[in-house]
Amino acid sequence: MPKHIVSGLKYLTAVELIRDGYNQKEVAKILEMDRSTVSHYLNGRNLSWNSIEVAEIITKFCPRDFLTLTFALLNDSEKTRIIVKTCSKKEFHATVEDSCIGCGLCADTCLMNAIVLDDLKAHIDSEWCCGCLMCGDVCPTNSIKISEEKNGC
Amino acid sequence: MVANTKEVKAKDMCVKRSSPEEKRELSFKDEICVGCGICEQICPVEAIELGDIGAIVRTGAEVPKISIDENKCVLCGMCSVGCPADALEFKLDDISIKEMDEYPSLIKSAEIDDDTCIYCKACETACPREAITIARSLPDRSKLVTGEIEIDKNTCISCGVCEEMCPADAIVMEHHEPTSVDPTVSSDIYVDKDKCVYCLICRKSCPVDAIKAVCRSCSYGDYDLKPEDSEIEGSSFIDDESCINCGWCKEICPVDAAEVKKPFKGELSIDQDKCTTCGACVDICPCDVLSFPKPAESGQIPEKVFKDERFCIYCGACGKVCPVEAIDVKRTDVNYTPTKSKSWKNKMESLKS
Amino acid sequence: MELKVNQDNCLGCGVCVVACPVNVSISPEVAGGHGSKTTETIMMVENGVIKLFSEDKCTKCGTCQKFCPTDAIWLE
Repeated sequence: MPKHIVSGLKYLTAVELIRDGYNQKEVAKILEMDRSTVSHYLNGRNLSWNSIEVAEIITKFCPRDFLTLTFALLNDSEKTRIIVKTCSKKEFHATVEDSCIGCGLCADTCLMNAIVLDDLKAHIDSEWCCGCLMCGDVCPTNSIKISEEKNGC
Repeated sequence: MVANTKEVKAKDMCVKRSSPEEKRELSFKDEICVGCGICEQICPVEAIELGDIGAIVRTGAEVPKISIDENKCVLCGMCSVGCPADALEFKLDDISIKEMDEYPSLIKSAEIDDDTCIYCKACETACPREAITIARSLPDRSKLVTGEIEIDKNTCISCGVCEEMCPADAIVMEHHEPTSVDPTVSSDIYVDKDKCVYCLICRKSCPVDAIKAVCRSCSYGDYDLKPEDSEIEGSSFIDDESCINCGWCKEICPVDAAEVKKPFKGELSIDQDKCTTCGACVDICPCDVLSFPKPAESGQIPEKVFKDERFCIYCGACGKVCPVEAIDVKRTDVNYTPTKSKSWKNKMESLKS
Repeated sequence: MELKVNQDNCLGCGVCVVACPVNVSISPEVAGGHGSKTTETIMMVENGVIKLFSEDKCTKCGTCQKFCPTDAIWLE
């Protein structure tokens, strides 16, 4: 079953990427799949609609559950990042306050690799932020503020 | 989840956190720690606790001076930056943050200028942390002697007065029991020129004027004293790990060869009325700032604790250890390298009282 | 660390009572060697041996241990 859900997630990602203007070759490279598999996916072959439905439900979970579940299913941080970034319909705006001490706990925690440290301060790339808020949970100085920008759904 | 690990080795400890991107490591060396508690004060997450420092230092208890709670520590490195003794070291990917420009660091140093230093060793003796080593090679003493003596063996009566008087043990007589074959008390007498310092005690004490002296420094002499023969050569070394930048070397140096930059400026005040002379502050002070004065005459009562702030680094260890709150240490200035981080700047500024 | 006593070792000399800086500030007369008149002090000699009364006031400076001739009072 997990395999099927992963296929469903990949299918959804592939569809989104094509919509964003990537060609099949590029999509195959991003998702580390055969080009023919991508083609099959996009044509709705080799895939049960059930798994797509389950995958769709997962993408609509709260961001943290979507992220952690996807990571648990794939056990691959790079692909998790791509799938979550592509399939998440929500946009977030992240700010780090000056009380940040640069301990790097948030950067180490962020599964999306959206956080880097510069001059002893965390910088969050809102482009990659999936809104899971795990960074804020570990922050010892409560310096991270993440707000949802708009709802794409 | 991201979790810290802690390694404890005797009284030293090391807290680590690793991610694929970065390795963070905080290490503590108990031997260097002065027990000032600045780390406890600066830690943003209350992960550090200063032990019962008076008891630990004074009774030699086998417990570390501080404890670090690895579950609270976020490995930010602030404690290492505040530590005036460098007992805490913080490394990012095996590089100390002291070498990184983005991190502030306390401005402190101690240097001895070897060109000015006369290698008198006063600083080595005074240094409360035994951080200074002065290596020196002294001139060859025999080259500085201004003359030499000669014993006229025909006049000498082998009385042994010169041998007994010579303060440098430079005159040796070969004593023996007189026999009918050789009715003398000595077979020979000679002068060890390496030992003789030309003090002429022998000549003055010789009852028969058997000792002749040849002065090298007089204009008729054949000898010249070369200034280079009296040169003292050497080198100085300060062990940065033990050095606490207290300024003893600078203050005691007779030729101003030592330069010390201290991390903090401040004020140390002692309430002599509250003090019960328990000596905890004297024992804990890493800089020998405090001592108990001896009365000038018997029966006189001197002040209880004497301080010389020239040697104080305002670490505050004495104030923390005093059981009756008789000591107040104020820090008015903290010297540190600039940082762009506001939170770090605030923390460094918070060390001022 | 905790303040401990071993009454079997104690000579009852009272040096710790006098040396303890906290005792002296609580009850100044102990500095003169007169003994404490209040159980507010950390320790006192009672029936010839040392006894702890208000050990919660101890600041763990280690002075008593330093002065005790028989290791009858210590921090552990």
